[in-house]
Amino acid sequence: MAGKQTAQEILTSYDGPKLRIMEVCGTHTHEIFRQGIRRLLPESVELISGPGCPVCVTPVGFIDEAVLLTLEKGATLCTFGDLVRVPGTDSSLAQARAQGGRIQVVYSPLDAVEYAKNHPEEQVVFLSVGFETTTPASCLAVSQAEKQGLDNFSLLTANKTMPSAYRALKDSVDVYLYPGHVHAITGTALVESLVEEGVSGVVTGFTARELLTALAVAVTKAREGKPFFVNCYPRVVTREGSPEAQALVARLMEPCNTEWRGLGVIPQSGLRLREEYARFDARRKFDLPAIRGRANPGCRCGEVLQGKCKSTDCPLFGKVCTPQHPVGACMVSNEGACSAYYQYGM
Amino acid sequence: MNNSVTLAHGAGGRQTSELIDRIFKAHFANPLLTADDAAVLEAPKGRIAMTTDGFIVSPAFFAGGNIGKLSICGTVNDLACMGARPLYLSCAFVIEEGYPMDQLEAIAAAMAKTAAEAGVRIVSGDTKVAGKGQVDGVFITTTGVGEILEGVETSGASARPGDAIIVTGDVGRHGCTILLERGEFGIEADVTSDCAPLWGTVEAVLKHTKNVHVIRDATRGGVGTVLYEIAGQSGVGVHLDSTAVPVAPQVRGVCGMLGLEPLYLACEGRLVLVAPREEAEGIVEVLKTCPYSANAAIIGEITETQKGRVVMTTEVGAETLLPQPGGELLPRIC
Amino acid sequence: MCVGLSAKVVKIGDGTAVVDASGARRSVSVELLRDLEPGDYVMVHAGIAIAKITDEDESETDALMEELL
Repeated sequence: MAGKQTAQEILTSYDGPKLRIMEVCGTHTHEIFRQGIRRLLPESVELISGPGCPVCVTPVGFIDEAVLLTLEKGATLCTFGDLVRVPGTDSSLAQARAQGGRIQVVYSPLDAVEYAKNHPEEQVVFLSVGFETTTPASCLAVSQAEKQGLDNFSLLTANKTMPSAYRALKDSVDVYLYPGHVHAITGTALVESLVEEGVSGVVTGFTARELLTALAVAVTKAREGKPFFVNCYPRVVTREGSPEAQALVARLMEPCNTEWRGLGVIPQSGLRLREEYARFDARRKFDLPAIRGRANPGCRCGEVLQGKCKSTDCPLFGKVCTPQHPVGACMVSNEGACSAYYQYGM
Repeated sequence: MNNSVTLAHGAGGRQTSELIDRIFKAHFANPLLTADDAAVLEAPKGRIAMTTDGFIVSPAFFAGGNIGKLSICGTVNDLACMGARPLYLSCAFVIEEGYPMDQLEAIAAAMAKTAAEAGVRIVSGDTKVAGKGQVDGVFITTTGVGEILEGVETSGASARPGDAIIVTGDVGRHGCTILLERGEFGIEADVTSDCAPLWGTVEAVLKHTKNVHVIRDATRGGVGTVLYEIAGQSGVGVHLDSTAVPVAPQVRGVCGMLGLEPLYLACEGRLVLVAPREEAEGIVEVLKTCPYSANAAIIGEITETQKGRVVMTTEVGAETLLPQPGGELLPRIC
Repeated sequence: MCVGLSAKVVKIGDGTAVVDASGARRSVSVELLRDLEPGDYVMVHAGIAIAKITDEDESETDALMEELL
């Protein structure tokens, strides 16, 4: 208890210069709101919600591709629950399901492989979103489908990697709260080297205690005035990360340019299946046309994701865009900054 | 007689009588259930409460109950929430062609047992058989009538600032049980539905004090939805101490895996009571002596401020809003 | 982005393990981890164990606070 109190005291008594701390990870955003942590911070410490919710940064066109796969190509979509209500140009997955599309919510990509094995008459496509933490699970799924000789399983990929986003946003942030589970996979070498470029950050876990401690570390170090990096999550995160996961992903996937909702195309910030695994790539397997989705023009999710505006600055927020009827992706995902503001904001 | 229900069982002829005799009369028999077109009943002296509810649940059999038990509990508990002693109940079955007779019998047996416990008599029934695929197994609708105890005035609109909020046990067990029984997410846990008839519980509380403002049973939507309903109906705020809400560790574990909020998982045997602060401890003491409310706890209070909202104190002592009840419960991974 | 859950390994199979989090059990892939034994704790995400961990956050955060002060 004493430790927690102290972290809390450090935060409430912070009287240094104004600090902008970006929690990159959507799960951090969610937990910070769920625990009411923003309300424990002094005015001079501002928490900005970053682009680390894979649902929020997935472009509208990805949903359109998925809807086309199930409604026109007859594929069964397996997806994390998070994506079900994300609006596409014309339809969300939930709406596609109501029109007869087959959509299975799964806990793990490996469950999608199991589903494919048990339903050989169906073509099963797993909607592969996520950052470094989640991508190994998708790769493991492909690797298992390959071992089992399944020809009815493929991925629709929208996998992304974080480092380019760290660089892209570094000017609007003083300190990053780095996502603990991403760095459990990637290790910390990269963010340690970012210190030389003047980018500060702490990597942290997800409990209230971990978040408060990491924030206390961040404000204390920031006061010293030098760029810094501290691993506040060593029970999970090591310098080298998971070599097994890194090797698996490198074997199956390669970097590609990819569109981030709101941020546009960031070169080499995405991952797609290598040529040798093309038969597991739904885009190539089903010969999908290039689709450009249309987002609602009033929606400011993009700026929200870049920390350039608050959810409450968006003209749609809370009026036409609510968790029940989301317009932008940031309102759909539990992790989305808008959803968190709407649900927990007081 | 066949081992499964056929369309002929619903055609109104000899086979219908057979089904009724063997399954329903055998279990539901009481002097008020006759072969006439309607039950003829004594009217109670005071006010009555009446409610109806349709039950569909997949799977129909789950740890801690089945759709039959559920169909009695749901209606009995709705009556109990109005301070009404359950008297009479009707039930209508829609059964899918081919439904196994032994399962139907198990459902009827559970209904009879639960009705007996709740002190309610099944006085009227109906059976329809629908073609294969037109319904999922068996659907049951029950309607209940109860006699409101004199001096009891409960309503979702009666919560007042300063009142204490009590929950009669750990939350989310029924929803968690059904989620696990469906087997979609490959998780196993030792969780049993909280499904239970609660008239005895309510009667014990009302014998102790009639000074209770709100009684609500938290069914689908869970305790969280009930709290938002009370806040809205009464035009008050709800302040919840999140650390005081009882949750079974296994339910917490399952919710942790799937990213779900236990306050939004369904219950079928849990009440939320709102009563003046000075009555609260006494009510909890009474609840702890009842069979289905040993874990009763005070979880919060009604406030003048934050009207229409449910504010929670979190484990770090900060305040946050309980998210509004959403639609479909979707497990999240990201 | 990553709901993670710390869980205890109760049984190890071929590339998989049964893990337990407060009584909720599930089979997860442990193909990315080496030298796992029953009783170890792992961080689970999307059905795979991504890291071997120590169980609780308390001593770690306490140590960090000590260092800081």
